[in-house]
Amino acid sequence: MSSRVCKTCGGGDIDVDQARGSAVCTSCGSVLEDNIIVSEVQFVEGSGGVSSAVGQFVSADGPVKAPLLGSGFHTSVGKESRAQTLQNGKRQIQKLGSQLQLNQHCLDTAFNFFKLAVSKHLTRGRKTEHVIAACLYLVCRTEGTPHMLLDLSDLLQVNVYVLGKTFLLLARELCINAPAIDPCLYIPRFAHMLEFGLKTHEVSMTALRLLQRMKRDWMHTGRRPSGLCGAALLVAARMHKFRRSVKDVISVVKVCHTTLRKRLTEFEDTPTSQLTIDEFMRVDLEQECDPPSYTAGQHKVKMLQLEQELTKKLDEVEGEISCYKDEIENELEKSRPKLRGIYAAYSKEIAPENEEALSSTSEEADGEDMELQAASEHLTQDFLSQVIQEVNERQDKRQGSCNPEVESENKVTHLSTIQETLLNTASLCLQETFHTLENSGMENKVDNPMEPSGELDLEGIDDQEIEKYILNEKEVEVKTGLWMKQNAEYLQEQKEKEERINKEKEQGIYKEKQKKKYRKREQIEASTAEEAIEKMLEKKKISSKINYDVLRDLNTGAGSPSPLSPDPPKGSSAQKRLSRRRRRKTSDTNQDLAANATIMGKRFRHLISTSPKKKTPAQSIQVEPAVTIATHSTEPPDSVPDAGFTPSAALPPAEEDEEEEEEEEVEKECVSALQLVGDYGCEAEEEEVF
Amino acid sequence: MDSSNDEAVDIIITNVVATFRTRCHLNLRTIALEGINVIYKPEVGKVLMKLRKPRITASIWSSGKIICTGATSEDEAKLGARRLARCLQKLGFKVRFSAFKVVNVLAVCSMPFSIHLVDFTKNNRPIASYEPELHPAATYRIKNIKATVQVFSTGSLTITGPNVQNVATAVEQVYPLLFECRKPLCK
Repeated sequence: MSSRVCKTCGGGDIDVDQARGSAVCTSCGSVLEDNIIVSEVQFVEGSGGVSSAVGQFVSADGPVKAPLLGSGFHTSVGKESRAQTLQNGKRQIQKLGSQLQLNQHCLDTAFNFFKLAVSKHLTRGRKTEHVIAACLYLVCRTEGTPHMLLDLSDLLQVNVYVLGKTFLLLARELCINAPAIDPCLYIPRFAHMLEFGLKTHEVSMTALRLLQRMKRDWMHTGRRPSGLCGAALLVAARMHKFRRSVKDVISVVKVCHTTLRKRLTEFEDTPTSQLTIDEFMRVDLEQECDPPSYTAGQHKVKMLQLEQELTKKLDEVEGEISCYKDEIENELEKSRPKLRGIYAAYSKEIAPENEEALSSTSEEADGEDMELQAASEHLTQDFLSQVIQEVNERQDKRQGSCNPEVESENKVTHLSTIQETLLNTASLCLQETFHTLENSGMENKVDNPMEPSGELDLEGIDDQEIEKYILNEKEVEVKTGLWMKQNAEYLQEQKEKEERINKEKEQGIYKEKQKKKYRKREQIEASTAEEAIEKMLEKKKISSKINYDVLRDLNTGAGSPSPLSPDPPKGSSAQKRLSRRRRRKTSDTNQDLAANATIMGKRFRHLISTSPKKKTPAQSIQVEPAVTIATHSTEPPDSVPDAGFTPSAALPPAEEDEEEEEEEEVEKECVSALQLVGDYGCEAEEEEVF
Repeated sequence: MDSSNDEAVDIIITNVVATFRTRCHLNLRTIALEGINVIYKPEVGKVLMKLRKPRITASIWSSGKIICTGATSEDEAKLGARRLARCLQKLGFKVRFSAFKVVNVLAVCSMPFSIHLVDFTKNNRPIASYEPELHPAATYRIKNIKATVQVFSTGSLTITGPNVQNVATAVEQVYPLLFECRKPLCK
């Protein structure tokens, strides 16, 4: 700020005295500026001769906290909720971060992530702990520190997967790509914990080499990195002649011993395991392996193929054997004495017995069906039993052969499955054939095509089968009894609850279950998008922590008495909820400006005519209008057009802007004034406030 | 890409979930007591009914909303749902079959090669995510068709989507990406 030319004499020589803060013209002596505001650092001598700078450090983030000298012992009074959340978050981050031994830079980055998360409303509906843990883990990943999600969950005593979910969501929403975990990062940490003394570094290097080999052999995809580390460290320790048991390694690495063992066996399968220690250190094999799960899958496929081949052979052999069997049977029959009649009778007896046995398994109602089904099942059973017999015979023949027992067992199980499937398919086929016949009859009678009204289309549905699903009366009784017994406790609870409710009703205390009543939102009718936005902004509640009365008082010219009526003037339909929430009606501002002057008196009228619910503020405010009207009447017009522009910019996030609130209030006054105009017509009396 | 491949990749649908409404209030106790193969859960407030023919499990609520799971195709789901409605009709409720919608389809598929998940995730950064500490598969979410593909290192995929067509499209979309990061077999 250099004032070059003196205004009185035109001289250019001006002396600026910083100490006094004045600018004086040296030629004519006139004081041009007084009390200049200077941005200089001043020093003050403190006790002991120490000189310190005057002033306070103000943090860049958050609103400026007014330094309360002496009287302020509560630090967070009057602070916005957002600032409180951030402060709380910062504190928790510091706490957790120090437990993890993260440096300050990481903690600051984590706090930045947290701020981003809060601004994107990701903390809503989630525990702050979880969000903070996710932020910290995100920092760990981006910085590449050897911290696992498991560590965090240990500290917080929270399920890892819950934290993982939050972490994934955070990473996705903040569009932060966390680099993939490299198991090599964990080696130094675990090696240190396993206490190898001076040789820690060497063991780590060996373990790293092993890990890289494992990676090349495709053991690491889809696996927890800690498990691989554990296996690598174990082998490395053994190579350097340290005795570390599986238990030690597990306690450090936090995996199950089964996992570790599995990793070791997988590594054993790779060709690298065949090398000696020296060879391993020197040579790196070219060949890469398939992932172990893939080889396991291949193994299974091979087993299946073997089975199939064997069953084929089985069939062939059976064919041969059945030929032999037929011949033998023929011979036997010829040689058998002819007591056919009796045997026939016996055989008939056997057949119905079988039928009954079979029918008990299937729940057929029709007699015809039963017989046919029974017959078919009997036949299939016969055939299968024959087959099994033959297999057994074959086994007996081939006892000394090299067929492994496993295969025979497989065959038997295979056959039993065949048997089952055959039975099932047979029963189903038969049922289907009979039911389709019956169905065609049924369908003609019951024909409801599916109309859009919701009638059920019965095509393809066989009622017979469905009726099977419904129990008859006796069965219902039985089931009722059983169910009552089973759920006796629950029923008891229900009874007690009802009794309790009845009692309370009698006593008149009964409260309906406190359901969260979501007030029905009125449908916003608007012709353009802008109108819709305006109306929405009216209704939307923005902050509850503002003392609207005070604000209104500050601003009132015309609007002093109006805020007294927090309830809408009777008859206003559009603003049913004229509560202490603010509303913006930018479209009405112009009208309001015009109406302002005439409204002043009417307000007062209104105050008298309606009985405002809050009388004490009314009385206090009455005194003010006289003073404020003159000074503030010009203000509202100015601030209102500004307010007209700001709403669009100040959508949801701008809760902390107090200026806006004042403007809001002004608008509100205008609005309510308009209301009054609308309600009370033209009581155009320029009543002067006393 | 799929069509140009000689070996066709088999997409097997394992589960179809559908919902529908009966537009009438259902008395769960009656259903529980008069139906076979029914499980009543009064604490939750629903009844589980299992059908044999299309193998289907249905959760029935007293409001009349029903969720059918376990079908292996969309048609089967519809048939099962209609069967169920018919069953309820026979029990005496004035059932109307409305608002049938297939909500979710789950399918599995197997690639003839294994996949390097880390490379796959790197190439498809924001869409794919891989967290070995939490789940052994990489998740690939396709936003426009709302399908999620889980890719395992062995080459098998699990695809979930709102209908069968989307699932097929998802596989076709993902295939070239997987092909890039494949691991040639040595044994």
